[in-house]
Amino acid sequence: MKAELQAIQAEALAALKSVETPAALESLRITYFGRRGKLTDVMKGMGNLSKEARPEIGKLANEVRSTLTQAFEAATEALHHQQQEQQLAAESVDITLPGRKPAYGKAHPIMQTLERIEAIFRQMGFEVVTGPDVETEYYNFDALNTPADHPARDLHDTFYLTDGHLLRTHNSPVQIRAMENQKPPVRIIVPGKCYRVDYDVSHTPMFHQVEGLLVDTRVTFSDLKGVLTSFARQMFGDQTQMRFRPHFFPFTEPSAEMDISCAVCEGKGCRSCGGTGWVEILGAGAVDPAVFEAVNYDPDEVTGFAFGIGVERIANLQFRIPDMRTLYENDLRFLRQF
Amino acid sequence: MNVTLNWLKNYIDFELSPSELADRLTMLGIEVESVKELGAELKGIVVGSVTAIQPHPNADKLVLCQVDVGETEELQIVCGAPNVREGMRAPVATIGATLPIGLTIKRAKLRGETSQGMLCSEKELGLSEDAAGLMELSPDTPLGTSLSEALGLDDIVFELEITPNRPDCLSLIGVAREIRAETGNALKLPPVDLKEDETDIQKTTSVTIEAPDLCPRYAARVIRGVKVGQSPAWLQQRLESVGVGVINNIVDITNFVLMEYGQPLHAFDYHKLAENRIVVRRAVENENITTLDEVERDLAPDMLVIADAEKPVALAGIMGGYDSEITETTADVLLESAYFNPSSIRATAKTLGISTEASYRFERGADPGAVLAALDRATQLIAELAGGSICKGVVDVYPGEQPLHQIQFRPERVNFILGTAIEATEMAEILSDLGFEVKADGTENYQVTVPTFRSDLTREIDLIEEIARVYGYDNIPTTLPKGDIPVPAPNPSTEVRKRIKHFLLAAGMMEAINYSFCDPNCFDKIRFAAEHPLRDVLKLQNPLSPEMSVLRTTLLPNLLENAQHNRNHQIDTIALFEIGSVFIRNGAEKEPERVTGILAGQVGDGVYSNPYREPDFYDIKGLVEGILEVCGIVDYTLEKTDAPTFHPGRNAAVLSSNKQIGIFGEAHPEVLENYDLPYKAYLFDFDMEALVDAAIFTKRFEPIPVYPKVERDLAIVVDKEVLSDMPTGLIYATGGELVESVRLFDVYEGEQVPEGKKSLAYAITYHSATETLTDKAVNALHNKVVKHLNQELGAELRM
Repeated sequence: MKAELQAIQAEALAALKSVETPAALESLRITYFGRRGKLTDVMKGMGNLSKEARPEIGKLANEVRSTLTQAFEAATEALHHQQQEQQLAAESVDITLPGRKPAYGKAHPIMQTLERIEAIFRQMGFEVVTGPDVETEYYNFDALNTPADHPARDLHDTFYLTDGHLLRTHNSPVQIRAMENQKPPVRIIVPGKCYRVDYDVSHTPMFHQVEGLLVDTRVTFSDLKGVLTSFARQMFGDQTQMRFRPHFFPFTEPSAEMDISCAVCEGKGCRSCGGTGWVEILGAGAVDPAVFEAVNYDPDEVTGFAFGIGVERIANLQFRIPDMRTLYENDLRFLRQF
Repeated sequence: MNVTLNWLKNYIDFELSPSELADRLTMLGIEVESVKELGAELKGIVVGSVTAIQPHPNADKLVLCQVDVGETEELQIVCGAPNVREGMRAPVATIGATLPIGLTIKRAKLRGETSQGMLCSEKELGLSEDAAGLMELSPDTPLGTSLSEALGLDDIVFELEITPNRPDCLSLIGVAREIRAETGNALKLPPVDLKEDETDIQKTTSVTIEAPDLCPRYAARVIRGVKVGQSPAWLQQRLESVGVGVINNIVDITNFVLMEYGQPLHAFDYHKLAENRIVVRRAVENENITTLDEVERDLAPDMLVIADAEKPVALAGIMGGYDSEITETTADVLLESAYFNPSSIRATAKTLGISTEASYRFERGADPGAVLAALDRATQLIAELAGGSICKGVVDVYPGEQPLHQIQFRPERVNFILGTAIEATEMAEILSDLGFEVKADGTENYQVTVPTFRSDLTREIDLIEEIARVYGYDNIPTTLPKGDIPVPAPNPSTEVRKRIKHFLLAAGMMEAINYSFCDPNCFDKIRFAAEHPLRDVLKLQNPLSPEMSVLRTTLLPNLLENAQHNRNHQIDTIALFEIGSVFIRNGAEKEPERVTGILAGQVGDGVYSNPYREPDFYDIKGLVEGILEVCGIVDYTLEKTDAPTFHPGRNAAVLSSNKQIGIFGEAHPEVLENYDLPYKAYLFDFDMEALVDAAIFTKRFEPIPVYPKVERDLAIVVDKEVLSDMPTGLIYATGGELVESVRLFDVYEGEQVPEGKKSLAYAITYHSATETLTDKAVNALHNKVVKHLNQELGAELRM
């Protein structure tokens, strides 16, 4: 019986080696472990053994069963593994076929820029407010210290409506509206559209500005420099040089324009900066006392500064669009680029 | 305005290089827009003398010239000019020079003979149109000097942007004053020493000002026996270097002094003035004048004119009259120097549509204090350059003389406004260098007297700006505001706009921005009836074009045009939206914001894994459902409308609380045709404010189901007219809380169902929050649902 057990083990182990399919493995398992299996038969015959032989043969039988069980498990595992390998190999895909990309849209390039500007000023505590595009002479000019016969009106080629209103030429009227509606401190930015009669490669009749206003009891011109320097650093990067130049706006005094170093030539002077190495990015200044008087703020009590950022100009420092009119054609080949 | 380096140096000494000067002026607020070297185009062109001429052995029309250009070796140059002759001096383009016409000179052989340069005509040098022969230079022109130097062209031109508040800088002396403030160097004003004759001017003319409000000052001199002719070269060069045209010596002198002092002058032909006298008055009804540009102009009674005893002879401060202008036959000149009211000049110039160097300065504010200095300077130049005798004295009528502006100036206030710590004495020095009189008033403050040339300065803040710009903006510290940060009011519309935009972008829609203007014809294209309220548009008085002549009342035409534009450029995957204002006339809210979108052509990206397909009604509806979902709008109903832009059977209004908040659907076939779209287009159009009103952002936690759900499918056959949401509603109503969701997964009409019927297949999910539903319970409920569907809608189970 001992020899019989050893023969079964050797035979089964040899048979396992040549098994290639799960079905063959299963039939082999039945051959040995089934109800009439070879090993089962031997185990059944244990009862006929003498008392003396039983422990030795029983031990051997258990060993053989254990060895074979393990061998069958290993074979099952190996077969499964082999099969999975085959399946995975068969499932290989052409990774160069195009992906099923979900459709996604893009914000208009001007809105992308506008949103970045907004985010920077929000972080500095500025609240976003808006105002109407259709304005009165009063808000667009008079209240901003620009009376009807002021030559500064020539700087703005204004669209007038037949009913006597006009399209705002800048977002500054919202300064007046905001101050009329609230007491200081005021810390706002005004994103939005404005309009001037101008249509060529560098001008569109409608464009976007972000106007800013900060009014409080102790606001200085140096604060204006600080806030706008911080803006420029965040917008254009730490390497950017900037300078403030005296300028003129009827509603600010002192007034300034801010230049940043030309990114194209790194300040050396090139065609895109007109050889100066500088690119103008915004106008600003301390709020003129006449403006405070127009909104019944006491210029002896409060000071402030205002600024106006041309969004198209800022956008184009990055995008370098040769013809600004392209911005508002909404050509999808254009919009996709940004 | 243009100024040149050499010309500026006549009025002040300074050691700044051109680029330094440009930088300093810019940082003073006089932006230098460009710096140009005048003779730059004439590099390599030198003065040469033709020493010998021989015939060209191989060409009849050419000669061989020996040319001395001041070097040891003479040059041999082949020349074909008819006026070439021995001994003449002419410009020589040497080897390597590039002519303004673009030709680069090389050593060459012309018909076999070497030519080491080129003798040039004026045209070849870009100096004039004269191509008849070589440019003749005077025999004393030094050989070998550069032509630009010989012609006085070696100067630097600065193009300045003068802001409207600084009319004083519209002159060489004005710019020199700024350089004085920067350098502290003294001004050098032109010396004037008039040699007057014995005739008292009072006997030759008189000036009457009948409108002193519009003409505060009028001065005149009379110069007799002048000879009108060409100006000397230096004067022509000066004017040409700054872009002023040359006319005749008298007019050129007035222009020269205009550039010097910023004071416009006008010279009249004395004998063309009736009674030889001047009356400054308003025009009268039906009066007119022919101005120098030979245009006859109707005058209105609010316009100021310079008249003689009978008629207007000039538009005051704007343009002279044609009849009294200086001509070759003029012998005696009445020279005007005046100060006019800026608003009046501005209004008249604007009404008549004229802008001249004179009106530009007067309307910004000339210097009443410069009237006599400029008059005398011009008078002297006329006497020197055109001959003539100066009548004794000057007529100076000055009814509008004002005391100089006195401003109290507090150094402490300056430092407060600027955030600086500038010493009071430094401030006083800056103001003095600007030409202001500064007096200590016994306290720490100053009394500042503003000179007449700075009429823009009337307040302390104006002086503060002067301190800031001369002290240097760069020297002002950079600080951050110290005050409290105001707390912004919550703004739900910002949130709604943001959510909608994010959703639409994520859904593949591209953001468009269109002009606020539109074409009034667009309303026909979108089939608005004649009486449609949105045809009531705001019109522009001065539109750029008829297509941009009214303000838009709807975004639909803009987006349809965008689709058309893209279609015309062979882009057919059209998915665009815009968030923007429209402009409603007489509305309570005038500029409502809309969110509007278009889907047309194809969706998908056309690749193997994501093929193109045509969008349909349910694509646009899906976008609308998404918009409503991100706004938290759950309670809404849909209703078909007769909106003219839409397909009558394929559109729906979205109603929330019985108020229409938007509309969507397929564009009407006629609309498609009007925009040349060869395929269907789907539109949505929402009112932003209505969306904001309906939006709900509050969210509450709902327990996540713990008991298993049971899903049952149900296919029913109903009449075709039954809308799909009727069974849905009934299922919810019947099942109550136990129905978690109802999902319509199939709609079928066709052979498998009877005529006039359709099949709807729903997946119903049953679920209880408190127990595991048994099969028995679900079956009972499901059967109840089937029964109700049958009773209410006549629905038959489809097997």
